[in-house]
Amino acid sequence: MNEEHHVNGGQAVTEGRTEKQVLEELSAEERALLKRVLEIERAKLHLTAYDATDDLLAAVKEILP
Amino acid sequence: MRLQSITLTNFRQFADVQTFDLTSDSVRPVSLLFGANGAGKTTFLNAFTWALYGTMSDDVEQQDRMITDSIWRALPIGDSAEVAVEVRFDHEGRDYRVLRSAALRKESDQQGVFSPKVQLWTTKPDGSSETVGAPQETIHSILPRGVSRSFFFNGERIENLVKKGAYAEVQKDIKVLLDLEQVERAIAHLPKVDRKLTADLKKHGGDKASGIQEAIDVLDERETAAQEELKVLESDLATLTEERDSVTDLLRQHAESAPIQAERDAVGNELEEARSARDAAIAERALLVATRGFQAFTDTLSESTAAMAQSLYQKGALPAPLKREFVDQLLDDGSCICGTPLTEHSVPWEHVKDWRQRAGLQAVETAWQQLSGQIAPLSAARDELCDSLAALMKRIGAERDRVTRLEERKSELDGKLRDSRMEDVQALETNRMELDGRIGVKQQRIGAVKAELQTIAKEVDQKTKERSRAVVTDELATKARSRSDLVQSVKRALEDILAIREEDIRRRLDAELKAVFKSITHQNHVPTLSAGFELTLYKDVNGVQLPVPKSTGENQILSLSFVAAVSKLAREIRKERRAEGDSVEDAGTYPIVMDAAFGSLDQDYQEAVSRALAKMAPQLVVLVSKSQGLGKVVTELMPYVSHLGVIETHTTAPGSVSDDIELEGMSYPYIRAAESDHSELKVIK
Repeated sequence: MNEEHHVNGGQAVTEGRTEKQVLEELSAEERALLKRVLEIERAKLHLTAYDATDDLLAAVKEILP
Repeated sequence: MRLQSITLTNFRQFADVQTFDLTSDSVRPVSLLFGANGAGKTTFLNAFTWALYGTMSDDVEQQDRMITDSIWRALPIGDSAEVAVEVRFDHEGRDYRVLRSAALRKESDQQGVFSPKVQLWTTKPDGSSETVGAPQETIHSILPRGVSRSFFFNGERIENLVKKGAYAEVQKDIKVLLDLEQVERAIAHLPKVDRKLTADLKKHGGDKASGIQEAIDVLDERETAAQEELKVLESDLATLTEERDSVTDLLRQHAESAPIQAERDAVGNELEEARSARDAAIAERALLVATRGFQAFTDTLSESTAAMAQSLYQKGALPAPLKREFVDQLLDDGSCICGTPLTEHSVPWEHVKDWRQRAGLQAVETAWQQLSGQIAPLSAARDELCDSLAALMKRIGAERDRVTRLEERKSELDGKLRDSRMEDVQALETNRMELDGRIGVKQQRIGAVKAELQTIAKEVDQKTKERSRAVVTDELATKARSRSDLVQSVKRALEDILAIREEDIRRRLDAELKAVFKSITHQNHVPTLSAGFELTLYKDVNGVQLPVPKSTGENQILSLSFVAAVSKLAREIRKERRAEGDSVEDAGTYPIVMDAAFGSLDQDYQEAVSRALAKMAPQLVVLVSKSQGLGKVVTELMPYVSHLGVIETHTTAPGSVSDDIELEGMSYPYIRAAESDHSELKVIK
């Protein structure tokens, strides 16, 4: 299975790679933003009419002021 | 989500206000409710879905008669009655109370249509309470409607869960349950954020950077268009594949009917043969009776004949020691054997002549000897006749049985062939090949679009790198560029995470499903969750995996195993939460509420399912009738039961209708005569 690759947005993901590894390869800022983005999305999962753009943009600006 | 209680107000059979406590813990996660047919088990199950989603299952008849009939009848025209269901539950550290209610003004005996309203309150860990603004959406985020069907279900209908078509929706909702949805949403939302950021870059970034950004924007647009096309293509492909599968199914039925046809022909021939063998045996018996039947009645005849001959013999009547022919010879010769001359009318002549009368004929003696020789074998012949007759009767019996058996089998096979409605094989095959062709074209296009997406992504990467090298003097533009880079890499990481999670969840769900299914069924069938989250069942025949046509029972077990596996995995995944950070203690916990949980399963399966569910569900509410629930089910579940109750039926039916139920050595009312038809929730423990 190791030779198999998933293609996602042009990035080949080798099977067997873990979520933890993905997180470790990120910089501190990237990790912080990723966590924040998922928090925001999860909190508003029930709101179909919700537009995340502003909240996410605010999160980016918070991390890179 | 852990259920705490349910309160019904004038909800169909349940008149007035009735509450049932459902709080449970991990040691005793089960609430067991007994109810006769019509007592309201299905209503009770539907009370949960009505409170949470405002819907009831299709099998609830007369859905507009929501208010208890007796309450409605007694209500004066112009007055209003209330119907409501309140469910209290806790979820991820918060207590919730959902109330769906409606008041209906009586215009006539018919209950009119009403629009119930839903309210949701939450109590925070600090004890403060607040009204939730978007109650329905919040409930959907706690337990999505599609997934709820896996947790609130009618056992007899649960197999629908794994039927084609229905599963697509379940599949979508599982994403919410198993934490894929927020990742997908983030991936969809981040490009919008990026566009806002890069707008600044274009405005203030100088010629070079702005130019690169414009190129990236073009690429982004192409990417969006390609992604849209991919979505359409994939959905087309799914439709076509489903169509092809159903055609293949029909073809398989043809293949299945071929052996039936062959068997019916063979059975038909054998039946003909059996019928003639039976007729031949009957004819043989007739011949035997006609030719030798008399022998059966010679039983006493031979004995009496022998006795008669013996007595004649003893009387000297038969046979004589002297032959008449010998005496005649002496008389003809005129001389006795002693030498005395035998002159006619002399004393010696008269004497010898007297002997002539007493002598027997040679012919008579021969006849006698022949006759006596035949008397003895007559009895043996009679015995043999009896044996032959018995053998023939046995043969006739066996042939008759064979004919009956074959006639039954043939009728059965005739019926099977009659019931299968089949289209022409050739037309089906043509259709299948045409669909195959169309599927091939779609798959090619999907491949091309994916390759294009890959190229675009590479180009975007390239351009992004170029962008980072481009000289940007404006501070705002520099900031926008760093932020855009950040968003891009987070998006890529999320895409990786989504792929990893999808594969991880599929693999674990598959393993769990296999384990649960195996613990229930005695069949050597193996369920598999494919890469596209499709559920199939196959069996291993000498190393070859063959698909199994699922029976209702099998589908029920498959669905129950799936529910149990999803329930378990939802908890596990939330416990080991990763990128989102730590989650609360009860995250991913959902109750299973089931009516007629054991459907049409036989006793062994009922026992195995009860055992599996009691161990796997964090909270289980089981609704059963006496006939379904007593015996193995109750034995398996009782150690895990924290609440035991009876939905007591009150009926106006005349006659002696009372019935009791015996639970843990005590007798409780099950059905009672009353002045109005309604049901009451009675708590036993």
